[in-house]
Order: sequence, then C-alpha cells, then structure tokens
Amino acid sequence: MRSLRREPVLLLALLAVVALVLTFIVYPQVQVVIAPGPSGYVDFLQGGTWIGPLRNSVEVTLLSTTTAVLLGFVYAYAMVYSHMPWKPFFRVIGILPLLSPPFVVAASYLLLFGPRGIVTYGVFGQSPIIFGLFGIWGVQTIAYFPFAYQLIADVLSRSDARMEQAARNLGAGPWRVFWTVTLPLSRPGLGAAILTTAIYVLEDFGNPQIIGGIFTVLPTQAYSLISGFGDFTSAAAVSTILLLLALGLYVAKIRLDGGRAFVTVSGRASSMPRPPVPLGLSAACFVACLALAALLVLVYGTLVVSAFTAVFPTNLTFTVRHFEFVATGTNGDALRNTLTFSVVAAAFSAVFALFAGWLVQRGTWPGRGALDFLLIMPAAIPGIFFGIGYLTAFNQAWLDWVNRGWLIIIAMIFWNIPVGYQAAVAGLRQVDRSLDEAATSLGASKLRGFRDVLVPMLGGSLRVGFVTTFVRAVTTLSVVIFLFTPATTVATIRIYQLVNDLNWGGATAFTVADIGMAIVALVIFAALARGRIALGAARA
Amino acid sequence: MPETAHLRVSHVTKRFGGVTAVDDVSFDVPKGAFATLLGPSGCGKTTTLRTIAGFYDPDAGDIQIGGRRVNELPAHRRGTAMVFQDYALFPHMTVRDNVAYGLRVAHTGAAERTRRVRETLAFVGLTGLEDRWPSQLSGGQQQRVAVARALVIEPQVLLLDEPLSNLDAKLREQLRVELRTLQRRLGMTFVYVTHDQGEALSLSDWIAVMNAGKVEQAGEPWEIYYHPRTAFLADFVGAVNLVPARVSELAETTVTVTFGTHRAQVRRPPDVTVNAGHDVLLCVRPESFSITPAAPADRNGIALEGTVARRAFLGDTMRYWVRVDDREWIVDQPDPGAASPLDGAVSLSVRPERVHVIAE
Repeated sequence: MRSLRREPVLLLALLAVVALVLTFIVYPQVQVVIAPGPSGYVDFLQGGTWIGPLRNSVEVTLLSTTTAVLLGFVYAYAMVYSHMPWKPFFRVIGILPLLSPPFVVAASYLLLFGPRGIVTYGVFGQSPIIFGLFGIWGVQTIAYFPFAYQLIADVLSRSDARMEQAARNLGAGPWRVFWTVTLPLSRPGLGAAILTTAIYVLEDFGNPQIIGGIFTVLPTQAYSLISGFGDFTSAAAVSTILLLLALGLYVAKIRLDGGRAFVTVSGRASSMPRPPVPLGLSAACFVACLALAALLVLVYGTLVVSAFTAVFPTNLTFTVRHFEFVATGTNGDALRNTLTFSVVAAAFSAVFALFAGWLVQRGTWPGRGALDFLLIMPAAIPGIFFGIGYLTAFNQAWLDWVNRGWLIIIAMIFWNIPVGYQAAVAGLRQVDRSLDEAATSLGASKLRGFRDVLVPMLGGSLRVGFVTTFVRAVTTLSVVIFLFTPATTVATIRIYQLVNDLNWGGATAFTVADIGMAIVALVIFAALARGRIALGAARA
Repeated sequence: MPETAHLRVSHVTKRFGGVTAVDDVSFDVPKGAFATLLGPSGCGKTTTLRTIAGFYDPDAGDIQIGGRRVNELPAHRRGTAMVFQDYALFPHMTVRDNVAYGLRVAHTGAAERTRRVRETLAFVGLTGLEDRWPSQLSGGQQQRVAVARALVIEPQVLLLDEPLSNLDAKLREQLRVELRTLQRRLGMTFVYVTHDQGEALSLSDWIAVMNAGKVEQAGEPWEIYYHPRTAFLADFVGAVNLVPARVSELAETTVTVTFGTHRAQVRRPPDVTVNAGHDVLLCVRPESFSITPAAPADRNGIALEGTVARRAFLGDTMRYWVRVDDREWIVDQPDPGAASPLDGAVSLSVRPERVHVIAE
C-alpha cells in the first residue's frame, strides 16, 4: 500500500479498475438480486411457480450433462490416447460447434426431427411431438458434448505421460493403467470439466426456448416473465435462483481446480508420447468418433443445406436468395453489429483483463483477494441473469444519450472478463518477478515496466482473452436478448427471431453467415498473430 | 571503514508476517567500496539487499544513499541498479536493447545512448553480440549482459544478488576476478550478496556476515577469516578447528589456555573481554598447522602428537583428519605433491599468533 502511495498514477489506475468492476459487474447483479425485495421474495416463493422450472432445470442439467460428458469423454479419450486415423479431421469437427451459437442445434433438430422433419416426416411419415424434456436432452447433449470434449481433452492431455510409462513399465496393461493411474490423477480436472459443462447446460437459454414448449426451465421462465408478462420482480427472483445454482456449481468447480479450466481458445502444450494402446481400442475409438462426427456433420450440415436451398426439405433447388436476405436491411446491420460489437468487446476485454490481472497478481495492496473474486465471478453468472442485470441497471431514461450498442459491448466485455483475466494471471505466474524488478531497478516505474516488459511477454494471454471473448460474444443469445434495440440487433437475435417465425431459409443462412464470419475473423486474426492460436479448451 | 558513508543502513528491520527476516541491521558502506553481505540461506542478506533496492519497505529503520534518506523513494528512483541471480534479462529484447533499457527510460539522447551502450558492452567484453537474443547467449555472457545493463545507467549503488551462483566453478572464478577489476576501475559502490565465503573473501573490501537476520560480524575479509567473533562465524567462513579450552592466565597481549592435557600461550583477542577461569573456544584454521612425521619443532605454540585417521586429496592441498586423544583435528598440507602422503603417527604444530580465541 505504501508503494502505491508513492506511485499516484498506479493508484489512480487501480481505483479506475475497481470503479469499473463495481459499476459493471457488481452493481447490475446486486440490482437484480435486491429487486424483488423481502416481501417480493416471500410472495414469489409462496406462489410456487418456480418449483416446476427449478425441477426441470435440475433434471435436464443432470441428464444433458451426463450424456454430454460421456460422449465428450469418448471423443477426448480417442483424441488423446488412441492411435486412430483422421485426428485432424476430428479435431476440426470438434471445434466447429464452439464457433456457433449453441441454440442453432435446436433449429437443426427441428428440421431433422420436427413435425415436418426430414427424418421423422420425410423418412418415417410421422409428426411426433418432440418438444419438452427429451428434445432438450437430445439437443443439449449434441450442443454441449463438444464443450465437454474440449475440457476433458485438456485434462487428459495434461496427465503425466511419464506416470503412464512408469505404470506400463511395471507391468500394468493399458486398461489397468487407465483405471489406476490416469483416472485417479485427473479426477479433480475431470470433476471440474463436468461441473463446467453443467454450468453451460444450466444457463442454456436458446435451446429450451426454441424446443422446450411448455417444458420451462429457469432461464426461459425468467425470459417469458419479462417479455410476456412484464413481471420484472418475479423474473429477478427466478434468475436469482438460477444464479445461486450456477454459483454453487462454480464454487464446487473452483474447489476442484482453482478456477482454472475454461473452454478457451489458446495454444496447447505438446506432451511426451503416451504408451501405445491396443489396435482394437484405437479401432473402437475411430468408430465412435466417426459416429459422433457424423452426428455433428448431420446437425450442422442440415443447416448449411437448408441455407442454400429454396424450401428445405421439400424444395431442394439451390439458391443464394437466403443470403441475399441476410445481407440486406436490418439483417445486414445485425451481422455488421455482431462483428463490430464482438471485435470491440474482445479487444477491450482482453486488454482490461490483462491489466486487472497484473494489478492483482503483482500487487501488494490489501483487498486483492476481493477483486480477484469479482473478476472471476462472471464465469458463474448465467447470461440471462447478466442481461437482466444490465437491463435493470442501465436501461434508464437518463442514459438515453448513450448508444445502446455500447451497452451490449460493455456487457460482453465484463461477462467475458474471467477468461482473459485467468489467462493473464496464469501468464504472469510464468514470468519471474525479477523481470519486473529488473525494469524497476533500471529506473522504470511499475506501469512502465508492465508496458515495456510484461505486455510484450504476455501476448499469449492477450490472444486467449481476445479470441475467446470474440467467439463467446458472437455466439451469445442470452446476454443480449434484453439489451438489443432495432438499431443494435445482432446475429444471434435475428436467428432466434427467424426461427420463431419459422423462416428456416433465413435462419439457417444467417447461422451459416454468422459462423462463417466468425471463422473468417479468426483466420485473419490468426494470420495477424502469426498462427499462434489454436482453438480448444485450456487452463486459462 | 572510515570516511563518510555513501550507503547507510541504520537499524533496519523487516518482518514477513510473524517472521523477522532482518532484525535491526546497521552498517555503512563508503563510496567506491565493494561490500558483501555473506550468510547462509535465510539469514536475511537478500532481504536487506532488496530493502536497499526499494522492493521491500522496512518496518523500521532508515536507508540513506549519498546522505539522503530514500525510504519514501520508490524503487525506480533510487539509482540502485540490481544484478539478479537469474540475470532477469528481458527475453524479448536483444542484448543492445537490454543494455539500453535504463537509458531509454531516463530519456537519454539517442547518440549518447548508443555511445554508452557500446562502451559498456566493450567494457564487459561483449562487443559483437549486440544483436543476439538472451536465449542465444551462454550463462557467462548472460551474466555480463546483466552487469552491463546495470552499470550503464551509472547507479549510485550497484546491487548484486548472488550473480555468480548459476555458473560452473571455473567460470565463476574467472568472472569473480573480472567483477573485482571492473569495480576497481569504475570506483563504483557495490553491494554484493552471496552465501559463498570464497567469493566474499576474494571480492570484498568489507564483509558483513549475517545470521538469523542480524549482522554477526563486519569487517575486512582477513579479519573475518582469522578473527571470527563467534563459533558460527568461524565455522561458516571456511573449515576450522574449534576446540573448547579454559583461560588460565592473562597477560597484556597474550592469554594462556588449557585444553585436555595441553597448555598454550596465544594472542589475546582485542575488544573482547576474557577473564581467567572462563571457557573459550580456540579457533585454528587447518592451513595454519604444519604437519610432519617427526617430532614437533616449535614448542612455543601448540604442539600435538596424533595419528592420521583419514585424508582427502583436494588438489592444491592434502587434508588430514588427525586423531589426538579423543579429538580429530583438520589439518591442511599445502603442495601435497612435494612428499608422499603421511600416515600413522604425526606431529602437528601451530604458531601462537595463528590461534584465535573466541569468548563463549
């Protein structure tokens, strides 16, 4: 603290960071939590309308997480351990879903298995009721198993190959090594991966909203209470319940892995070769991955085919008419907005997170622990809650002079802070403090040393923060659903609206355009960063 | 050391939680001196150095540089460039940019900067390596860059934190000589931290031996080595024979001590009170003995008869462990190639002025 007093600029910078965190992370959330007031909570809890959605949320989270993790584990095990062919192909297929809004799986599902779906109606001539629990379960399994795969692959690839070599050397077979060495050693990481997947599933808003029907979960109930009934008090109470669940999962996750694992976009360290697995196992892995990849290709391929055909699936004439629709008017604006908002938010988020990470990791001032907690907390906040928070706190008449696009950008910046922040802290841990001290002893102030010495060395952390925030900003629906205005609408909102309008051509073309735009942006960025990025899960 | 102090550390205390790392430490370093803080790991020497640098705030006490109190000065305004144990070279800068960094921060003009960087690199023998990256340099070269980077800004005090400990023995000795020569030529004030007593003895004008956060003794290397004030010091700085004895007689400049069945008249230690009847420790360096197979020559000091228990060939010396009664003495014989190794019964003798008395 004394050293801070001697460097007033540093003190001011710290105060600015604290002020921003309090304004844009703490304040909106507190607004939501306290909105109903004590009597509001009592009335709401007595009303009992929350019991069904809570039960549904818990039920579907348990089911979807279980299946997503199982599939993800198979995929990850195959990628990390087996000697199957086509690994680069499977890697790309496993990454693509991360670049798309998760809820487009629901759209594809409707096209495939809906009342007029190509499988259900086209092949079997049936129009089953596919809304509700089983629909959500299936869709979330497909939408989130790639996330689980990335997280689990990260954990498995970090397990110490030398231990496995040693166990094999002592006479254990591959199966035995896996159960007695690999699994016990990666248990905390796997636990954290499962809980992280559970948080993604729990806060999923788009899929249940599209195919849930009368099966309401907490995020969709919060949404419909506001958009359908204008009942803000109840919505705040519902989302507070959701927040508590997510926080519970998140706290458990942090206890397991110290809050390090995220689905992020970063370089992955290579490891020493692992002991060979039997040929039969590799073959089984290959078949399993082929099946899962086929499923993903079917789901996303359906969207692509639909985007390029007149009326899917009845009229399969090739057309680019849907893309013309996407490129014009409000739709074109929405795409442009998505790009602008996401790039700006990603840049600010990465830089701010790096600076905040430096203040916390290298600082000696009191209260660092509290700031650290606040900076990682948004990872536990469901997007719908975050959106409602910003709606409550900042959708005020006296702020009308502010372009509403900034509100979306700011929400994206702070919702995604944890990724860049954790990457910065992890990066800083790799840099010996004597480097900062060397700069200081040569006459550079702490800020100057940060700029000259640490920032150039933390390019990796900046890239992780930027790319991951960008991808999450492009794909989020729940954060922005309460914040957009006609002029500041974004791609995910338009896709969601087009699905609701049953404009399948438009919705799918929009999806393809959105994903394509994200890929192009990432390729350009990768070229600028001289190819030093890779997509996947990592310890930030 | 007389003259006015350039660096003055007075009553500095530094605590970490409940642990007192530096406990009321005071010392003065005159301008242009090579001062060394020597001690085992955890003795507080590095903490003292880092407190001088401004990386730690002292809990009590003052640091003065050039007559000015610097406690409230942030680390980057103290003019205390530091050479780190792991060199801490900026990996994303070339050798030239590393060395130029401090000048750049100080807004030194480009022409002067270029000149000073060139001169300093020549000074440490790195001309021609300007465009290398730190990762392309050997350990010794990295160390020289680190020194050049600190020297070039002409600090008030240059702080060195075990700068040679990551190098192999041969290079360490070579750089030791270079560092000493460099410091002499520049007349710059150096404060050097090490746990290596050989380094401390060969480099320093002045040594402070630290233990458990306190300065146990400070003085010139010769003084520290031959006249340690405590058993810890005697033992820490080099190999030593420490033998309990009792003072039997006191004279103006000598004391007579008895140990076992032996009796000897040795130099009376200055500025330490010893009284007749007191228990003391005799401190004899192994190289102070002469060892012969025959009967002792000099009855004036300590003469002992014993048998060789073990011996170790150290290259420049032969070290013997000689059993005398129930005690083993360490004895070094210089130039061991001159005669065949001794075995069996030997005689030891040491001149009285080579025996130092430590008051317990």
